[in-house]
Amino acid sequence: MTLFGLAWRLARRELRGGIGGFRIFLLCLAMGVAAIAAIGSIGAALKGSMRDDARIILGGDVEIRLNAVPASAAQLAWLRGQGRISHISQTRSMARTGAARALVELKAVDDAYPLFGSVVLSPGLALDRALARRGADWGAVVEPALLTRMNIAIGDTITLGKARFRIVATIVREPDRAARGIAFGLRVLVAHAALKASGLIQPGSLIRYHYRIALRVSAKAWRETLDTAFPKAGWRVRDTGNAAPGLGRIVDRISAFLAVVALTALLVGGVGVGNAARAFLQSRSGTIAILKCLGAPGRVIFAVYAIQITVLAAAGVAAGVTVGGLAPLAAGALFGGRLPIDPQFGVYPAPLALAAVFGILVTAAFSYWPLVRARAVSAATLFRDLIAPEFRWPGWRDSAVVAGLALLLGLLAVASAQDRQMALYFVAGTAVALIAFRLAAGGIAALSRIAPRAGNPYLRLALANLHRPGAPTATIATSLGMGLSVLIAVALVEGNLSRYVGGVLSESAPSLYFIDIQPDQVAAFDRLLAATPGLRNVGRVPMMHGRIVAIAGTPVDEIQPPANYAWILRGDRGLTWMRSPPATGSTVVEGEWWPSDYTGPPLLSFDAQAARALGIAIGDTITLNVLGREIETRVANLRRIDWNSLAINFVMILAPGVLDGAPQTHIATARADDAAGDAALERTVTGEFSNVSAIRVREILNRLRALIGQLATAVRLVSAVVVAAGILVLAGAIAASRKQRIYDAVMLKVLGATRRDVLAVFAIEFGLLGVVTVAIASGIGTLSAWAIVTKLMHADWVFMPATVALTALACLGVTVAIGAAGTWSALGQKAAPLLRNP
Amino acid sequence: MNTSQTAEAMIVLDDVALTLNSRAGAVNILRAVNLRVNAGESVSVMGPSGAGKTSLLMIVAGLEQATAGRVRVAGAELGGMDEDALALFRCDNVGIVFQNFHLIATMTALENVAVPLELAGRNDAFGRAEQDLAAVGLGHRLAHYPGQLSGGEQQRVALARAFAPQPRLLLADEPTGSLDADTGWQIIELMFRLAAQAGTTLLLITHEAALADRCSRRIQIEDGTILASCAGAGA
Repeated sequence: MTLFGLAWRLARRELRGGIGGFRIFLLCLAMGVAAIAAIGSIGAALKGSMRDDARIILGGDVEIRLNAVPASAAQLAWLRGQGRISHISQTRSMARTGAARALVELKAVDDAYPLFGSVVLSPGLALDRALARRGADWGAVVEPALLTRMNIAIGDTITLGKARFRIVATIVREPDRAARGIAFGLRVLVAHAALKASGLIQPGSLIRYHYRIALRVSAKAWRETLDTAFPKAGWRVRDTGNAAPGLGRIVDRISAFLAVVALTALLVGGVGVGNAARAFLQSRSGTIAILKCLGAPGRVIFAVYAIQITVLAAAGVAAGVTVGGLAPLAAGALFGGRLPIDPQFGVYPAPLALAAVFGILVTAAFSYWPLVRARAVSAATLFRDLIAPEFRWPGWRDSAVVAGLALLLGLLAVASAQDRQMALYFVAGTAVALIAFRLAAGGIAALSRIAPRAGNPYLRLALANLHRPGAPTATIATSLGMGLSVLIAVALVEGNLSRYVGGVLSESAPSLYFIDIQPDQVAAFDRLLAATPGLRNVGRVPMMHGRIVAIAGTPVDEIQPPANYAWILRGDRGLTWMRSPPATGSTVVEGEWWPSDYTGPPLLSFDAQAARALGIAIGDTITLNVLGREIETRVANLRRIDWNSLAINFVMILAPGVLDGAPQTHIATARADDAAGDAALERTVTGEFSNVSAIRVREILNRLRALIGQLATAVRLVSAVVVAAGILVLAGAIAASRKQRIYDAVMLKVLGATRRDVLAVFAIEFGLLGVVTVAIASGIGTLSAWAIVTKLMHADWVFMPATVALTALACLGVTVAIGAAGTWSALGQKAAPLLRNP
Repeated sequence: MNTSQTAEAMIVLDDVALTLNSRAGAVNILRAVNLRVNAGESVSVMGPSGAGKTSLLMIVAGLEQATAGRVRVAGAELGGMDEDALALFRCDNVGIVFQNFHLIATMTALENVAVPLELAGRNDAFGRAEQDLAAVGLGHRLAHYPGQLSGGEQQRVALARAFAPQPRLLLADEPTGSLDADTGWQIIELMFRLAAQAGTTLLLITHEAALADRCSRRIQIEDGTILASCAGAGA
């Protein structure tokens, strides 16, 4: 019989005895694997839909986007020659009816829209019929929330600009919804002719023109033709490989973050797996010794128990993969309707396989050492306990295997991550954390061993408990520490984000933004605001769009900007011009502001942080393309911008004289005392100026807060798995030492200790261990949160001691409660039975 | 020439010492032990607690390495063997019976007896195990687990397991220590009968003079040294 055959036969016999000692092993493994599988599957579902439906989401094989100015007749003629084309225009506007106002995201479409997918309306009309003109009114279809928001119904009318629209239907499905990016208002679809009739298209208006094409050739080949035909057009072109970049980035970031948290859950579970394997193998030391006496070599012993652990791990992994594989279906049922795409929630083999491999690797890494120790069990233990228990160094080969498994785990974590740099930090951080907690546990044990004999007997006994052989000190420190580190990190990240949103609201930031104010409306607009009592933060600047085409003579195509500053070079940016520096929200930190009567060559003021990231210095030239015209500017000064102030701020401010005469619009800010004041001002301004749109900052911040809340819920849910794994490991460790505790309790009671005395000893033991672990976990959790907030989210960081203390105290409470629960039964034990059968 | 010198030597111990180190200091368990047991002999080892009886047995079984001296069992020098080689050596040559039976709780009586045969690579492990159990009067208890058997029955299973691979040497550590007198004697009778049938050499530790008398030779050991060796009633 082969070694495996024999080992399998022996293992099978042992497994018949049941898996009683393996519940925690199975739960820890299944939970960790399920978390990884679930997050991987949900991410795959979202990304899969974005990939499969890319043409529908983008609205074509390729899309060209222009700001403020539509394609010229010649450009349009060329585009029409490339395939079927659909042209849409998007802008923001105020919908009005009676006293009701609502900011809307207005989209004007042609007859060809959509080239791919379909618009579904309720009632089920065809789109072109719904948008057709009926007498004096144009047809419009709207997002259902607009009806509630304006207290109107299908059949009612709203005014957009100068045109009146009848609501014909609500939008059930807008196929290209995911591509639109951040939306402040609610969607309204109208016909092109209707937009024209509304008078909203003014010189310099914030309108985006999209040209989508169903190509006859490949997108790659087409792009080369485009570059040859219009080399300097500066169009922003997207293809199906990048249909919804904003959404894609969000999905990547969130799933990368959650995957890291899930992996932490599995690693914390791994500690439980290792503990359970060790406890199981210790309970089998008698059998191992018998087998050795009967002539079983070490490799048979190793194989017998490795097979048993593998079988149980397979069961745990299978359970985890099943739960994780079903999670997307549950997520689909719960969140499907709230997402901007239609996710294909199904079973995704790749993330499930990855989760399974993680589960197997974690089991192998955490069980190998106990297996090696089992292999080393001496058959001599059957005859008597050795005078001094031997500690045998298992040798370099086995140590190398453990190190190899850990390395493999780390490599897999990095290789499978969306964000490899973050994964690398995570792997390094986890290794440091695990070592820190192990060292802390070793330190606690060593200190308690060498500490001078305490006068207080409770303290003396508690200290002895911490370092005696088989004490769960290391396990408790690691499981509690890892779980608490994650909790503190999550609490601090959430706290920082909430503070940011709450903070900008509480300060005197503008509460209303007005956009698309035409130059001929400026004087009347200023008068209206001046006449409105109680307003603060009133400001107004002219605005245009332009894009950077070269920095210090280097075309932007040849510049590799840092990922978090790429947006500055990605397309059109807002531009303004000023005589004197902005009164609020930014400070000149380098260079000099130009004189108020400056009339020389074009000068530019640039964002200091962005300048540092892009390597821009005072005196460098920056070439801008504004309305097709290239302007070479020179950087005169750098400003430190406080974006959190929400005051009007621009990365680039030009000296006056360059763009003054160009088609432009103005944007303005104001702050009313409360939401009612906002509503009143919005009503007055938009009633007076039909083309001006108002953006309510309070509402947007509230929506942002709700979004952060939703994300925090998802993160908390995954973090809960880490905490649950930690609690399981903790409970397992305490349960494993229960027999010893019962014996200790009985002996103490026999010697005259009351139950209170016994409880005091245990409380001091867990308290000491808990305090040290909590201190280290607070440090590691804070450091992790700082890295996430500043490096990953690029947000400001504030340390919140109260949040840390509260989380740590709650965790300490849980530890003491679990410890007390584990020892409570020990307190009630009668001495006699134990003393009769020691 | 002495006849005992011409017979095949099953156990040869030359100046064997065993010293164990502990935090409290070194403990000399065995000192310069010299012993020769011929094939087919039955030898009892007696002595007070802590005299070194069990250590002697463990060294012969290859479960403990002597710190000095030469150990030769069934023609094999145990001194240079590693753990796995010693396990294979036991598999081929040595059967052990314990005071506390040491059956594997998760296996039936049949499976317990079959284990050493399976480890030896025997294809007929279960057939042989069944015969061996029948030979110790437990042919009707094959599917019972140790927990379902009496102490005497468990020791019978242990005997069947020890004899199953037909070892050349059987080591017994107080095999009746956990049994009542009657049951103990039944076990002893059975053990001697099986040993005689197979021609197995017997080395057994006991505190009972009557049992020691059944052996062909008695050894008295105290403070790690063999004090006396004399013929037993079974000689």
